[in-house]
Amino acid sequence: MRILIVDDETLARAYLVEQLATVAGVEIVGQAANGFEAVKLVDELSPELVLLDIQMPKLSGFEVLELLGERAPAVIFVTAYDEFALRAFEVHAVDYLLKPVEPPRLKAALERAEARLRNNVASPAATLQTTQALLAAARPQGAKLDRILIREESKVLVLPVERLDYIEAQDDYLWFNADGKRHRKQQTMSDLEAQLDPARFVRIHRSYLLNIDRLSRLELYSKDSWLAILTSGAHLPVSRAGHARLKELIS
Amino acid sequence: MHPLLSQPTRLALYFGVWLLFGTLLAGVLAISHQTPIAWALEFAVPQTVLLGVLSLSTWYLVRALPASETPMSRLLGTWFGAAVVLLAIWLSIALLWGRWLAQGSALPALQDTPQRLAPLLVFVGAIGLLLAVLGHYMLAAFDRSRRAETRSLELQVHAREAELKSLRSQLDPHFLFNSLNSVAALIGSDASAARRMCLLLAAFCRKSISLGRETSIRFSQELELTETFLAIEAVRFGERLNPRFDIAEETRNLSVPPLVLQPLVENAIHHGIAHLLSGGEVFIGARQREHLLELIVENPFDPEAPKSRGAGVGINNVRARIDTLYGHRASIEVDGRNERFRVTLLMPATPMPTAAGPAPTP
Repeated sequence: MRILIVDDETLARAYLVEQLATVAGVEIVGQAANGFEAVKLVDELSPELVLLDIQMPKLSGFEVLELLGERAPAVIFVTAYDEFALRAFEVHAVDYLLKPVEPPRLKAALERAEARLRNNVASPAATLQTTQALLAAARPQGAKLDRILIREESKVLVLPVERLDYIEAQDDYLWFNADGKRHRKQQTMSDLEAQLDPARFVRIHRSYLLNIDRLSRLELYSKDSWLAILTSGAHLPVSRAGHARLKELIS
Repeated sequence: MHPLLSQPTRLALYFGVWLLFGTLLAGVLAISHQTPIAWALEFAVPQTVLLGVLSLSTWYLVRALPASETPMSRLLGTWFGAAVVLLAIWLSIALLWGRWLAQGSALPALQDTPQRLAPLLVFVGAIGLLLAVLGHYMLAAFDRSRRAETRSLELQVHAREAELKSLRSQLDPHFLFNSLNSVAALIGSDASAARRMCLLLAAFCRKSISLGRETSIRFSQELELTETFLAIEAVRFGERLNPRFDIAEETRNLSVPPLVLQPLVENAIHHGIAHLLSGGEVFIGARQREHLLELIVENPFDPEAPKSRGAGVGINNVRARIDTLYGHRASIEVDGRNERFRVTLLMPATPMPTAAGPAPTP
């Protein structure tokens, strides 16, 4: 089994390397010291399994998983202590190991991962829904999404939500508009809407989510429909329900 | 204990009111019975003061008959009886006093005045007594509520102390398990480094437990604890963690509450350095500014890092503790501009008390 080790601590990686050396049929194809490297190395090395640390600089293990999306290989999370994440792991039957990793547990987890690979069963962690649930569990209670992660070719873009103007849905994708550019990401509108702060982002239309700070004015377009004029000059359609939501938020 | 007799200021105020009452009574006598004002004052003022003295005894009845718990009939009956007895005593003394004053007087018209005054005296005495009783009841209520307040404050302080104790002794599980993970890793590659790490961990746990029990420690002890903590974290973070100390020599002997600096450094590492790919410098400064001890912990941080769970807990714990200990005389300020996070703690610079107790025997 081809394995990638992701951890920001040199010693933690060294320990996993040492432990994996005792397991037959395992090949360590690479090591990453942070989330960005991990995303890159998964693409380049296409490992079958990633041992993924959760708390890392820049990108957490959950965010790495989100960025990998459908290309994500099987994942076993490794963490020293994170009671909220552990609860989420249990709920979604996601495999995890606790540091310092006990060799028998490591072997058992590797065997489970291998069995899934053989039977071609997707790892529970790899489904989009589970990834989102894990991300939500990693956030402090009641906290909303504060940044959007988008992959563009080999680059990872981190967009703080306050920089967003609006989000447009198109087929299976969302277009994130910020700083005069637009970025595409595979995600559903309702899923995103649920994670954003409702006091800032309003669903003004079936296909549009607006950052309320960017609204300049509203114009009546026809009976029961309006146009939102943004500070950037962009025009967005506003439905009747969207208009009601806007009015409720502003008043 | 009598609430008036036990407090001289209250007692003085009490008799001040009676003196005023006596002067008023003298005025009434002078106007309604045309007695000379000097005589009226001589007669009325001592008598009202006497009534004041007699009224002090009502406190014992006030205490025996709490207004809210005694049946109204019993309350009224007892007070009526007591008032009759007190007023009878007072009136007889007043009449004797009046007659004695009149005898020495040059004015024969005054001879029968005291007897004519009796109805007025009963009326005025009853009012005075009534006011005194009400006053005593109010005092009793006031004292009771103040005692309750004091007790609830005491309870709050106790609860706070217990809370602080539990905050102090908290060992971050994240720190513990990561350190153990480092030990596990080092055993395979560098056994002597693993041993060093075990010793450091033991020293840190021992120090934080023993220092946490104290109410105040020498600042140099807190520094030692912080250095041990940094040495452990340096094993984990390697070159990413770069501590720099700037400690003014005179601060080392000051007395500080335990665990005021180490949690701030822990915060700097876990919410600052740990989120930076290449780490950075943690600056730890201490100096004395007039009567204040200033502690500064500064670190770079990633403003785009997601807010991690538990951010600010360390600082808030320290803030809660110095708040309880020093109130307005201490402050903790947080500044996060320009990707640098800076915590400034100011508290009274207290010299370490010299060890009291028996001198060591040779």
